[in-house]
Amino acid sequence: MTDITSESNVAPAASPTEAPTASPTEAPAKKFRRRGVFTMWLAVAWLVFLVFTAIGASWLPYVNHSCDQFAEETRDEKCITHIDTNPLLSERPPVWATFSDTTRPVVGDAAERAGFFGTDTNGFDIFSRTMFGARNSLLIGALSIVFGIAIGGTLGLVSGYVGRRVDRVIDSIMNIFLAFPALLLVIFIVGFFSDSGTNEAKSRSIVPIIFALVILSIPPIARLVRANTIVYAQREFVTAARSLGARTSRIITREILPNVFPAMVTFAITGMAILIVAEGALAYLGLSVSAPTPTWGAMIFGGQSKLETAWWISIMPSIVMFLTVLSINLLGDALTERFRIREAIG
Amino acid sequence: MNDVQTRLRPESGELLRIDDLYTHFSTALGVVRAVDHVSFSLDRGERLGIVGESGCGKTILSRSIMGLLPRRNVLRGGSVTFGGAELTTMSLKERRRIWGAEMAMIFQDPMTSLNPVIRIGKQLAEPLRVHLGMTKSDARATVLKLLQDVGIPEPEKRLDQYAHELSGGMRQRVMIAMALACGPSVLFADEPTTALDVTVQAQILELIERQRSERNMATILVTHDLGVVAGHTDKIIVMYAGKIVEMASTTSLFGAMKMPYTEALFQSIPKLEQPAHTRLVTIGGRPPNLIHPPTGCRFSPRCPYATDKCTTEEPPLVEASPGHWFACHHPVGSDRWHEVSVRRREVA
Repeated sequence: MTDITSESNVAPAASPTEAPTASPTEAPAKKFRRRGVFTMWLAVAWLVFLVFTAIGASWLPYVNHSCDQFAEETRDEKCITHIDTNPLLSERPPVWATFSDTTRPVVGDAAERAGFFGTDTNGFDIFSRTMFGARNSLLIGALSIVFGIAIGGTLGLVSGYVGRRVDRVIDSIMNIFLAFPALLLVIFIVGFFSDSGTNEAKSRSIVPIIFALVILSIPPIARLVRANTIVYAQREFVTAARSLGARTSRIITREILPNVFPAMVTFAITGMAILIVAEGALAYLGLSVSAPTPTWGAMIFGGQSKLETAWWISIMPSIVMFLTVLSINLLGDALTERFRIREAIG
Repeated sequence: MNDVQTRLRPESGELLRIDDLYTHFSTALGVVRAVDHVSFSLDRGERLGIVGESGCGKTILSRSIMGLLPRRNVLRGGSVTFGGAELTTMSLKERRRIWGAEMAMIFQDPMTSLNPVIRIGKQLAEPLRVHLGMTKSDARATVLKLLQDVGIPEPEKRLDQYAHELSGGMRQRVMIAMALACGPSVLFADEPTTALDVTVQAQILELIERQRSERNMATILVTHDLGVVAGHTDKIIVMYAGKIVEMASTTSLFGAMKMPYTEALFQSIPKLEQPAHTRLVTIGGRPPNLIHPPTGCRFSPRCPYATDKCTTEEPPLVEASPGHWFACHHPVGSDRWHEVSVRRREVA
């Protein structure tokens, strides 16, 4: 741990020879410590674990719930879909939850508890499903925020720097979107997309979900970037660049963007956490990715009616989601701290 | 030195002509007459000083000439001719070709005029690549040369540093290098030494002077400090409340100043021959509100020689001797001036 803190505290410009020159007679100078470094690394560790399992879910020894149930020839033995429901394993509590009993009959010498996170009503292992759910939930969150930053950031930079009529138009549109109840807006967009397909095969892909969440994330990002851009556009170094004949596009991308970028990135990270929760809310309303593909929101939703008898179906994915969102927020805070631009003062 | 930078220029002749230039700002409280009908000209290689108190329109004048003002709520007029081309009607695209390449500016505060997140080397290379179309490696070599020219120690190391890693004087040197990069024919220095301490001030002024003579570049030095202007200019313009009140060659101005405002500015410089603990002379009052400037002569409310004529009739800019212009009803050396000076001396 000390290694990490000392490494993170050395300014990049400080020469490595300077550090150990303190003479032994002097009292050792108290090392500058950032607040919350330990929790930040915990958060990073959790996120790294999650990202690796999300990417490698198909190769790890989990039961696969993301495979195509109709593609008979490509199905491997780990592929379990809705046609493979196992009533004998239905609603088993996690192995460590000795205080909890299943309400379902235990046949023969089958174990009463199964799996690290227990099993759901279909008899599927919740841990496996959560890890496959990470793939979808994180992908939706990350893609939405990336597109949101790209579009919202561009709009904010342009409206903040160009100003005048352009600003008024963009800002008005953003105001309209912000005035809409967010959830209603998302439901409307997702509903608009799913109308095209027939109702019985509701194979909703992640595309409309991402689209809706991008729309949701653009206005606040554009707002934030616009406000920052206005601040930096009035700074002397922008006038200096102008006085040297730099083009508007160059000033925006070379002078202003690097200054606005830290605020954008930290907001993006917090925004991703919000979007993961938003996806959960959407799934809770039954509007997210359709059934065989697990997302955390959908899993929490699925267990809701069983909360009294089989709490683990909802609670386990909830805990994972909670930890993930918390980690992302902690990481965002740490990055805000780290990215604070050193002004050329003093 | 680079080809373009040593590009032969006519040694003399008129470079910049400002005619009846005005810049007014519309604000919620009224129209601020920041620059009010100013005319003067600048020859190639000439060193011009613009002097005046804070808030009398010096900075706005220099930015108006370059055309660097915001577009919003600005009323402007008059003409600026640069090497025969009219700048005020020029499109932004054409003006950009002139900015940096022909006209460049050093800003008052080197702390805020460098981008905090871009390395020095990259910031300096920017104008070279824009105007001269240099490749990355050529630009880097030129930047290194420029940094050496402006006297920055260890220039290779500075290239990869950020603004906050340099001292104030060093940053101002970087700003100068940036302004000089494309070899402009006129350099605006807007209070280049105000934010620096006195020892560094002299070095920076010396540096600007050396670069000016090497490049046959005209300089416009904007400052509130008559002492700075005295040793570093050929011609001085004294501004008050947005107007030119006196304009003369440096020797003529310091030898025979006409305007009581110039006199007051001059008197408020502490002098070496004065005994210790001499009371510092100040100009009473503050520069006037530019929304409702005083009628008549704008300096009249603060002028010890003011008469009724001063508050009703605005003095025109008249020529005292060839090239020496002033705007005053009771200039230094007039009967009124003698009368009041004698009385003031008696009181003291």
